[in-house]
Order: sequence, then C-alpha cells, then structure tokens
Amino acid sequence: MAVRRETGGWGVNHGMQAFVEVRDLTLRFSGVTALEDVGFDVGGGQICGLVGPNGAGKSSLFNCVSGYYRPSAGSIRVAGQDVLGVPAHRKVRLGIARTFQHPALQPERTVLDNVLLGGHSTLPGSVLSAMLALPGGRRRERALAAEARELLALLGLAGVERTPAGDLPYGSQKRVEIARALLSRPRLLLLDEPASGLTHAEVGELGELITRIRADHDLTVIVVEHHMGLISAVTDHVVALVGGRKVAEGTAQAVQSDPVVVSAYLGVA
Amino acid sequence: MSLMIDLVKPDGGAARRPYGRMLTGAALVIVLAVFPLVMSPFANLQVTLTLVYAVAILGLDILVGWTGQVSLGQSAFFGIGAYGVAVCADRGWPVWAGLLFGVVLAGVVGCLVAVPAARLRGYALGMITLTLPVVAVPLAKRLEVVTGGAQGLNVTIAEAPEWTGLAADQWHYYVVAAGAALVFALAAALRRSHFGRAFDAVRVDEALATAQGVHVTRYKVLAFTLSAVYGGFAGVLYVVAVQFISPETLILTLSISLLAGLAIGGLRSLLGCVLGAAFYVVVPNVTGEVSAGQSYLLYGVCLLAVMLLMPRGVAPALDRVVRNVAGRRGRAVAPGD
Repeated sequence: MAVRRETGGWGVNHGMQAFVEVRDLTLRFSGVTALEDVGFDVGGGQICGLVGPNGAGKSSLFNCVSGYYRPSAGSIRVAGQDVLGVPAHRKVRLGIARTFQHPALQPERTVLDNVLLGGHSTLPGSVLSAMLALPGGRRRERALAAEARELLALLGLAGVERTPAGDLPYGSQKRVEIARALLSRPRLLLLDEPASGLTHAEVGELGELITRIRADHDLTVIVVEHHMGLISAVTDHVVALVGGRKVAEGTAQAVQSDPVVVSAYLGVA
Repeated sequence: MSLMIDLVKPDGGAARRPYGRMLTGAALVIVLAVFPLVMSPFANLQVTLTLVYAVAILGLDILVGWTGQVSLGQSAFFGIGAYGVAVCADRGWPVWAGLLFGVVLAGVVGCLVAVPAARLRGYALGMITLTLPVVAVPLAKRLEVVTGGAQGLNVTIAEAPEWTGLAADQWHYYVVAAGAALVFALAAALRRSHFGRAFDAVRVDEALATAQGVHVTRYKVLAFTLSAVYGGFAGVLYVVAVQFISPETLILTLSISLLAGLAIGGLRSLLGCVLGAAFYVVVPNVTGEVSAGQSYLLYGVCLLAVMLLMPRGVAPALDRVVRNVAGRRGRAVAPGD
C-alpha cells in the first residue's frame, strides 16, 4: 500500500546491532531519581513492552527518547544514532513518533486534520507559498490527505474523517493518535498506554492492530502498558521497571511471574 | 468491524450543498460592490473602517485565536503601518513605497519584539506587549519633524482616477475592500495549510506540537510577525480611508478594543473578524444617537450583553444556528432515517 515506508538500510533484524539501544540511562529531578542506570536493547521490527507500577519511570523514559527530558547520564541510540542531543522537534525527522497517555488532539479540528498534523514534518514550503496556495503545495497536501485516509481506514475510522476530533469517544481518539503518528512515516513508534480507557473488546482489537501495523510499516514499537493481556499478546520482549530501575527483562510470561515484579504490583516492597 | 460501533455519526455540516455557499458568496460580493454607489459617504466610511479594523483583528486572531498568545500591542503595529504610509506620502514618495515601508517596518518590529516575547506567556507576554502602544504614542508625538507631532499628518493618497468618475469615499471604499479581501484570502489559505494546523497545535498542546516536528518558539515568532504585518497593513488601509493619522489613533484603547472585537466576533473565524470590527465601528454611533451623554455606558452594556448571550462570539453562535437549521432540514427530507 501507498503508506508503506521505504525501509532503506534499516531493515528488520539485520546484523547484531539492536535498533534501539538504551544504556545506563539516569534521570534526576532536583534530588528525585526517576531513572537509574536503565539499559536494554530492542531489535529492529520487535515490539518491546515497558511495564511497571505508576511512578516506575516508564513515561520518563519515553520523555527522554522524545527529548522532553534531558537525562543526567547514559545514552539512547536509535539505528546507531545518538538521539539525546537531538532537539525534541527534530525527533520526528529521525523517524521517532509517539502517542500520548491521554489523547492529545485538537478537539475543534476534524479527525482528518488531526491525522494530517502528523505529516507536518513531511511538508516543506514557506509561509508565503502556503498563503498563496501554490499548486505544488496543494498537490502535496492532497497526496498526504490520501495517505491519511488510508491510515484512517486501516484504523477503522473511515467514516469520521470530517467529525471534530473532540466529539469522538475516547477509544477512537486513541486510534486517531496512532494514525497521526503513522503519517509521519516513523521507524520507531512509542505507544504510551494505548489500552487505557478502552473496553475489553477494544483492547483485543488494538492488539491485532499493533501487530498488523508493525508488519505493514516495518516498525519497531515500544509500548508502555499496564494491561498485561495486551502486553502478552503483542510483545516480543518486556522490560520491567520499578522505582526507576530495571528489575526484570525477558518474555512477557517470564516478567509477569518474576517475584520482584509481582511484589511491586501488589505493593509488597 | 465492531470498532465502528463507538463512532459518532459524520458531521451534518459536510452535507451542506456547495452552491448554497457559492450563491451566498456571490450575493455578498454584489451587495458590497453596489453599496458605495447607492449609500451616503458616511455609510461608506463606516463600512470602509469596518474592513480596516477587520484586517487588524484578523492579525490579532492569528496570534490570539490560532496560536493562543495574547497581545496588547496591535495598536502600535497599526500605528507603524499608518505612519509608514503617511510619512512617505508627506515626503511625496509613491504610495506603494509607503505601503511597503509601513508593512515591512511593522513586521520587523513585530519580529524583534516576538523573539524575546515568544518565551513568555500569559500575563508576562501581555505586559511586554502593553509597552508597545505606551512607547509608540509619545514617540509619535516627539518625532515632530517626521510625524507632525500631536497634530498628526494630513495626507492625500489613493486618489480616485479621473476615468472612474467616483467620489473619494467610493474609491477609498473599493481600495480598502480589495486590500482586505486579498489579505483575508491569504490568511484563509494559510489557515487551511499545514501552517494552520501547526499554529493550532502550538495553542492546544506544546508537547504535542513538538512531537509532530513543530518548533514551538519559531511558530510563535512567526505568528507574532504575521500579526504585526496585518496590523501594519490595517494601518495603511486606515490612512487610505481617512487620509489622516495622529498619535491619538494608536493609543492602548485601540489595542483593547481590537481584542474586544475579536472576542465579540469569535476566535478563528474570518466572519468573526468582520463582525467584531463592525461592532467596534457601528455600535458607538448607534449608542451615541440614543444618548450622547451615556454613549460609552451603553456601548459597555451592549458588549456585556453580547458576551453573556454568545460567550464564544457572534460568528460561532451564527454558525450553530445555521447548522441546526440545516440539520433539521436534512432530517425533514430524509423521512426513512
């Protein structure tokens, strides 16, 4: 399909090098340690789950990758490139896209407009050419809109492209976020609690969807999630954080039965 | 697919017939074109001034409505544009040079203020922009050699060409209407483009905007600069309309009135900019007729009444009425639904 991304040299699982390498990551805010010496790898084309109780540092880790937080130490490499020095607004050009825990949409704008925002970095051009509505810009905009419509169809949102995004139910808003992230043609997709607020049936469909977009778009995915059903269904590999430290790593099953993880979730320290 | 169950119905507004809008647009153009030929010079000036202020309010909307910043400095940019064209005309330079000078100077000053101001928000940004008219008014008075001081400058620009046979007020009306239509079209195109989406994203959620590759500070500076350019252009049109500029025109009160006009018309609406400007121009005349002594009080009452009845502004309220009527009609013709 047209939205399929050119993979170039970033193929799935080629060679020994991991696609995402997190090393010795430490993040401190005025005395509070949010992350301490966290390190793990994610292979190209893999889906990595990031689990742990609230405050474990999962979102902090995402915010380090996105560039909102500057870690005190450590490194994050994506496709061999150090991404920590790259300003937040340039991350999307490196192929890193994300969704937010609470859908961050423009409520007055249509669903289609919200998805099109994801393609912002792919549209060049000056303010003047936008004001003059030059044909080149309009053609690119139409092509992007066609791509956005395909993604909406893929995500089961085909009928609502003209609806204001704020009028959609919560579960649909979360899918709009995924469509928006995909329109930037990412290589790495960060999903922040995609299942929260969804019904049981919706979570099942979300799992299938994540697996399918990974295959269709040659994506590497890191997903922060509390919903263990989803984690078991989609991940190749799970990293568990507790109190800012990595406490377990392995398959979903192994991590879920790890005594440290279990006691952290049950509140037995 | 059961994913579809929770989706709301597509919005009814999309089903509106396109010719309805085209006919309305054509009718509006004809009315506006014939208006100055049949109305009094006073009525013409009222409409001309409405369009002038509509451009200034549109500039403010780019900053406030689109990007979510605030500015009390719009009257200063209005003044820069107005003095730019008036001073050039006063020295006998051609009007297009004055236009260019006024608009570019407004944009440059806007950009210079924006670079530090874009890092501020809310009250702090309001305070910074407040200083612009506070500085601009005495500056216009002091630079007497250039600006004509407190007396201001009388100029004659954009005279009606002989062949048109039009009176000054009629010609000025057409010039201002053409200028306003042009910059409204430019803003409409910008709003529909990915820049429009990016400005919205900056307003709604800066983290969201950043994640989409939008450089938040750069877009704020851009919005501020565009806003200043529109303010400057409105100032140029003002001088075309009244052939005069004095320091009294760019006082802080104008900035506040423009913000009030934006709130009355409604944010993020081109129609709202015109309605807000019409309110600012027309309502004081009406209240003055009703009671000369209590004019300002009555104006304030009107302002409060509009904001209480239509808290999001007149244009969104009208839009809702149109949608409801269209929705009802849509149901009436589809009995099987």
